[in-house]
Amino acid sequence: MIVAGLDMGVQNVKVAIIKDGEPISYGLVPSGFEPEKAAEQAFKQALEKAEIAFSDIEHVAVTGVGVELAPRVDSKLSIISADAKAAVYLYPSVRTVIDVGAEESRVINCSEKGTVLDFTLNERCAAGAGAFLEAMARALEMKIEDMGMLSLKAAGTVSISATCVIFGESDVVSLIHKQEPKHEIARAIYDALAERITSMVHRVGLKPDVVLVGGVAKDVGFAAALKRKLETEIIIPKNPEFAGALGAALYALENAGGKLK
Amino acid sequence: MNETSEKKYSLEIFPKEIEELKNTIKTASTKIMEEYIERMRKTWPDRPEEMQYFDEIAKFWGTREKEIVEAREEGKKVIGYTCMFAPIELILAAGAIPVRVSSGLYDPVKLGNRVVPVEVCPVVRSTIGVKMVGLSPYLELSDALITSLTCDGMTKLSEILSDYKPVWTLCPPRLKDSEQSISFWKEELKAVKEKIEKLTGTKITSSKLKSAIERLHRATRAFRRLQDLRKGNPVIMGRDAMLVNQTLMWDDVERWTQKTEKLCDELERRAQGKVWACPLKTPRVMIAGTPIIWPDNWKLPNLVEEANPQGVIVADELCSGDRFLYDPVGVDEWTMEDMFNAVADRYLLPSTCPCFTSEDGNEDRVNWIKARVEERRVDGVVYHVYRGCMLYAMEYMRIKKVLDKINVPVYYLDTDYTREDVGQIKTRVEAFLEMLKSRVEF
Amino acid sequence: MLLEIISELLKLTIFAGLALAGILAILIWKKNLTTKVTYLRTFVQVVAMIAFFYIFSYTTWLLLILVVIFAISIVLGRFFCGWLCPFGLYLDLVAVIRKTLNTRYWSLPEKLNRSLHILRYLLLVFFIVLPFMLGPIEAWQWSLAKFLMGPFKPISVLLGPVEPLIIPWESPLKLYGLSFSYPYASIITFYSGENFALINTFIFMALTLASSFVVRRFWCRFCPTGASLAIVNRFRVFKWIPFLRLSKVEEKCTKCGICKRVCPVQVTDVYEQKGGDITTSMCMLCLRCVEMCPYEDCLKLSMAGKTLFKSRNWLEPSKIT
Repeated sequence: MIVAGLDMGVQNVKVAIIKDGEPISYGLVPSGFEPEKAAEQAFKQALEKAEIAFSDIEHVAVTGVGVELAPRVDSKLSIISADAKAAVYLYPSVRTVIDVGAEESRVINCSEKGTVLDFTLNERCAAGAGAFLEAMARALEMKIEDMGMLSLKAAGTVSISATCVIFGESDVVSLIHKQEPKHEIARAIYDALAERITSMVHRVGLKPDVVLVGGVAKDVGFAAALKRKLETEIIIPKNPEFAGALGAALYALENAGGKLK
Repeated sequence: MNETSEKKYSLEIFPKEIEELKNTIKTASTKIMEEYIERMRKTWPDRPEEMQYFDEIAKFWGTREKEIVEAREEGKKVIGYTCMFAPIELILAAGAIPVRVSSGLYDPVKLGNRVVPVEVCPVVRSTIGVKMVGLSPYLELSDALITSLTCDGMTKLSEILSDYKPVWTLCPPRLKDSEQSISFWKEELKAVKEKIEKLTGTKITSSKLKSAIERLHRATRAFRRLQDLRKGNPVIMGRDAMLVNQTLMWDDVERWTQKTEKLCDELERRAQGKVWACPLKTPRVMIAGTPIIWPDNWKLPNLVEEANPQGVIVADELCSGDRFLYDPVGVDEWTMEDMFNAVADRYLLPSTCPCFTSEDGNEDRVNWIKARVEERRVDGVVYHVYRGCMLYAMEYMRIKKVLDKINVPVYYLDTDYTREDVGQIKTRVEAFLEMLKSRVEF
Repeated sequence: MLLEIISELLKLTIFAGLALAGILAILIWKKNLTTKVTYLRTFVQVVAMIAFFYIFSYTTWLLLILVVIFAISIVLGRFFCGWLCPFGLYLDLVAVIRKTLNTRYWSLPEKLNRSLHILRYLLLVFFIVLPFMLGPIEAWQWSLAKFLMGPFKPISVLLGPVEPLIIPWESPLKLYGLSFSYPYASIITFYSGENFALINTFIFMALTLASSFVVRRFWCRFCPTGASLAIVNRFRVFKWIPFLRLSKVEEKCTKCGICKRVCPVQVTDVYEQKGGDITTSMCMLCLRCVEMCPYEDCLKLSMAGKTLFKSRNWLEPSKIT
């Protein structure tokens, strides 16, 4: 049995395909202006890798903000449920899921069955999500990938506030003017974001084990900062950005009556 | 208030702009109101005919406005109020018409922003905006306003409104339990009573007050009957029950009572015939927090009851909803003094507004919510807060801890008077309902 | 002999009939459905009054009544005060007259009310314990003790409120061959000089009735007889004894303050205490609060764990009737 999960994210569209109860391939395409087309592209990517045709897919479950734009919808679920499902599937001992996406971050408490017990989302402001990092990298005039590595060298001598992307940027600029070293500023940026996520985690309650998913999870600087702030071990899966899509695929499998391997 | 008196807060707007804004907002809001009623019908296809009356009254610029205009021409006075601390019994006893004037319209918020900063609660900003262009018929028609100095926003709103209308303030004490608080509150009410008598030219005699109390007893009876019907399996969708509650804010009390009793009769028949408004496994939601006011601000109720998976609102803890008329005036002896004391007690003591505090941390509100959760078999609570509503926002943790203890999930939802965040809120509400659904099925 | 018994019975019947007629008249006249318990209570009070008259006429062992009252009070609390005491009935009737005249009552400040409650114990000590404690020490004190104990001769001070309006023994006020009296009149007569007995009784009568006209059940707020259960309830050790209990469900209470306002002796505990057992020594279990509480099942009276009576949404007509 072949099923697929589609995560219509703000920045990227992600696809996960499960065949015979095992995830076999993934696809990722930036959403751009036409998320419908991006979704088709992402499917194409994943299908090519798995060498299957689109018509072979029995069930497509869709999650994410752009559900209405998906090319095919057999069932829908929220990104929160999808994250919880994927996390517990990957690591059965996980009870807290932290998902930091481009414009939304979520903290979820889940049961051993992958059902959501409690959750919270960032307030209506992008300062608590990946977009904040992008803006800050722009202010530092460097690639976001490099900023992470650079921050690991820092000792943590300066700090900025992350109440708002705009104010954060002006904080960074003033640090630059004070001629603070770049790696220290980078660390301050990660600490500020991690601080916000930490307060969200404490609002729902920190229950081990903790897993970090979403696009930002790939950023080593952020992962290190969050570890420092939460004072706990954090599991980061191999493909953290596909958690939503994988969760949707697992949901599709449930709906289609398939079984996990 | 004479025209020459200095305006303390309000800004001048060109008459042309006023006309323009008034017309655009009016057309937009009329359309939205109709759309919302249509959507309510769609969610609940066999919506009883009795609801049509409330739909009609809910239309802002319609029959009720005309009625009030006519009553005013006959010499009746209209007294507006912002919070539910205003003693409706006294207003009715003096033969005046009570109307609630807190605004639920979204668009006037932009006008309010000219006077106060955007951080201020949108109810206040919208009410200011509404007044600036003379949009709300009920605010325009009122001869005087009774404002309550509950939260910061309402306190300053009364100053701003005093630029336009005579404003009588009522200051509820922050602590309810002490003897001096109650005697202070009685003095406040006494002052308002005298002002009402002066405006209407009618002395509030004990027989008049008794008849007003009895009229509201009947209304409370109908109101509680409707609320009690929401205890069992859903016979009415939450939005419709909320609409019935809201119309009381400006409707004629006696007619409203009759129509509500009729609606309850129909609903009771349905309950006996086991005709439910939605599937029985629908998660039962309670809305707590900042008041939700018709017409525009139907965002959250719409989302909950139209979401996938669907939820049904079986209770709310809003001063514009379940709390509005739940507590009756308990009169011991029908003497003027005792009736007045009973009215004073009714408005102060059972109120669960977060503007109160006590040694045990506003336990009244906690108990109210707990009792409702148990009685209505609530599966989850949506804690609804506007940006800028400090008191409700700050009390969230207190409520969450209590609800966590009795294993009822609660979701904190902050929003504003805007239509743009519907998509974002939808994700949250749907995720919450999904979670509740999985718990219900489990 | 037979004739006497028949005339006695006739007297009783006429009296009972008159009292019932009066109650019925009030019932019909004030058709307020929410005050049902109050009507029932008034009825019980009238029956109790007649019963006490009967007991006084035929029993010489009056102190036995006192023992019985105290024994009942240990299990039923101050149920006696609210439902059986004839003096309470007279004061309630004064309140009915006040209501008819559409006159307001006044409330005492909470602190004063509480100190009056403490005065109750002082009076109790003064009348019961003090004479015995003073007694053995000195000869002149013995006479004082005898003077204070004096009331035990006709009836005890603690039996004062039960004293019927017509008594089978001699009293200063005689009309048509009947000896009229008033609660505590015998005691007042005992202490007063011969010429002043009647005047003092009238002064006492005027004072108690007038004070109850202004403040509901004023006398009951410090009446020493009411201290009986008060003592048992005062100490936590004895909390288990009375099995007539008033309790409150914390969540259902909105603290609307109705219970506090309608209480004829201004008990604040029902309002103030959070929940659970709210029986207090000040409360005389008249159940006015339970009757007026508008929230279903919030307040209830239970006996040995069984619910006897509970609050309900009185806006709805009663289903029991």
